Amino acid sequence: MVQNKVLNSIIDDQDIGYWELYNNNSRWSSGLLKQLGYHKDEVEINLEFFLNNLIHPDNRDDFRDNFFGLVRHYLDFTHLLSIKCKDGSYKEFVCLTNDNLPLNAREEAKFIIFNKKKYKSSRKVKKDNFYYRESAEMTSTGSWYVDFIKQKSYWDYQTKKILEYPDDYIPSLKIGSQYFAEEYCEIAANCFLKCSVSGIPFDIELKMLSAKGRQFWARTVGRPVYNDTSEIIGIRGVFQDIDDKKTKVIKLQKTSKIIASQNSRLFNFAHIVSHNLRSHTSNLSLVTQLIEDVDSIEEKIELLGSVKDISESLNATIEHLNEVVTIQTQTNENRIEVCFTNTLKIVKNSIGRIIRESNTIINTDFSQLECIPYIPAYLESIMLNLITNGIKYKHADRNPLITIKTYIEGDNKFFEISDNGVGIDLDKFGDKLFGMYKTFHYNKDAVGIGLFITKNQVESLNGQIFVESEVGKGTTFKIQF
Amino acid sequence: MNLPIVELACIIDDDNVYVNLVKKIIETKKLCNNLLIFNDGKQSIDYFEALLQNLEPENIPEIIFLDLNMPVMDGWEFLDHFTKIKNNFGKIITLYVVSSSINPIDIDRAKALSSVKDYLIKPVNILELEKIFTKSA
Repeated sequence: MVQNKVLNSIIDDQDIGYWELYNNNSRWSSGLLKQLGYHKDEVEINLEFFLNNLIHPDNRDDFRDNFFGLVRHYLDFTHLLSIKCKDGSYKEFVCLTNDNLPLNAREEAKFIIFNKKKYKSSRKVKKDNFYYRESAEMTSTGSWYVDFIKQKSYWDYQTKKILEYPDDYIPSLKIGSQYFAEEYCEIAANCFLKCSVSGIPFDIELKMLSAKGRQFWARTVGRPVYNDTSEIIGIRGVFQDIDDKKTKVIKLQKTSKIIASQNSRLFNFAHIVSHNLRSHTSNLSLVTQLIEDVDSIEEKIELLGSVKDISESLNATIEHLNEVVTIQTQTNENRIEVCFTNTLKIVKNSIGRIIRESNTIINTDFSQLECIPYIPAYLESIMLNLITNGIKYKHADRNPLITIKTYIEGDNKFFEISDNGVGIDLDKFGDKLFGMYKTFHYNKDAVGIGLFITKNQVESLNGQIFVESEVGKGTTFKIQF
Repeated sequence: MNLPIVELACIIDDDNVYVNLVKKIIETKKLCNNLLIFNDGKQSIDYFEALLQNLEPENIPEIIFLDLNMPVMDGWEFLDHFTKIKNNFGKIITLYVVSSSINPIDIDRAKALSSVKDYLIKPVNILELEKIFTKSA
């Protein structure tokens, strides 16, 4: 027993009631005994005597748990308790530990302070039960106790309500895992094990499973319960239904992620605007310098031809930027149910000539996922871009073969398009693949806008686009909606 | 003006409008006798590597104007390759980066390279070009 190893004594402090715990020493201030009316010869200075003779039996177990929590795990506490005076009456004390008090004590020492309670609360006690129920109800917090000796679990009314079990339900230790969502069973089991073996308390957020199969987020708090010989005999704790709160937090995190990605796209866009417009304006400036500089009228007129070229490319750039701006301003509200087969039909019609002339074969499998809520124009544009890419960058030795499929994996929906084209060296170009005006082949059709637009469209609807490729074999784009 | 003339200059840039304008300036101002033009880094590095096999001084440019944003092989990758071989030509080749990027990261990165003489931001002006050519001649 811990307290037997402890050297016990009384500290001569008349004013404050406290215990000092230091290196297995337990010292009580004489102020504590004075307040209770005892002479120092009438008491034994140790925990066992305190628990058995002084503290009110109702407060015993909680105080013992708190005491060991402090000694073993540095858990501070505040505890309202009653202590028996010499005349047999009980006095109420507010019991506090170091952290709650500005004490300049030895660093290693732990203090338990006993402050006399200023006002009586006996009237309230009767109402306590009502208040407990009320706060349990309003905060959706249920209590539970696991008794290791009797090998039984106890749930209060609120716990049963939260977990949607009938009032007469008897919880069982053996099927403990069925109260938690599958992916959290191991975490929960670990916490309970650590608490029962080493007395480590826990306070975690995890998903629980109600009797009706409803999954919800719950805060689960547990603390070890000790007996007189300081063995752990159980775990006491609460479940709190925090599903609303947690769901909001998760939603908020998601929103902030979307905002971050929008921000980075806007930043990127500003960069693109500045860069792409600059190349035209600088050409314009160069040409005007030259017009001023050359002497002959013929040469000046010839240079005007360049002005025309520049103005055309400037227009093209502005059109591309407009396209990007349109994507940035679209919202999720414009989504409607779109079927892949229909969209593909539209795309095939618009590039029918290219498909025929290149002898392209397109194989599709939309059986696992036929439709999806999306912006129809985006899906069209995405399919169009990825299909034309597959044709544009075909392998010289073979006709283009494009395979498109849709499927569901876990919670996510996917669209996958593979070609047998020239492929692309992702180690070299991977980070630039989706950039604006990035082209990687000597191909006169390469503009460097398609994949940039595609990526923007996908991301503006909170999706992601991935690419895999092998040079000489082909490329696969995968879109997660 | 009877200034010494640069024999051979080289432009590596994918913007044809820009290339034609600079060509025009060079012709009008008679800044050099011959001009090599490449549309991306890969074509030019192929040229320089072939040149190493058969060193003919008249085919080695005295000045290179290099763009950064180009398809297939960009200016940075060209610089990587070029820095490794530039000392084997037996001739000083002055390289200017000419880009429309005003990003300080690009500017500092280019200026830190020993093979880069200077970083010019597009648009270049005619006087500036003249100065560069007379300095290198």
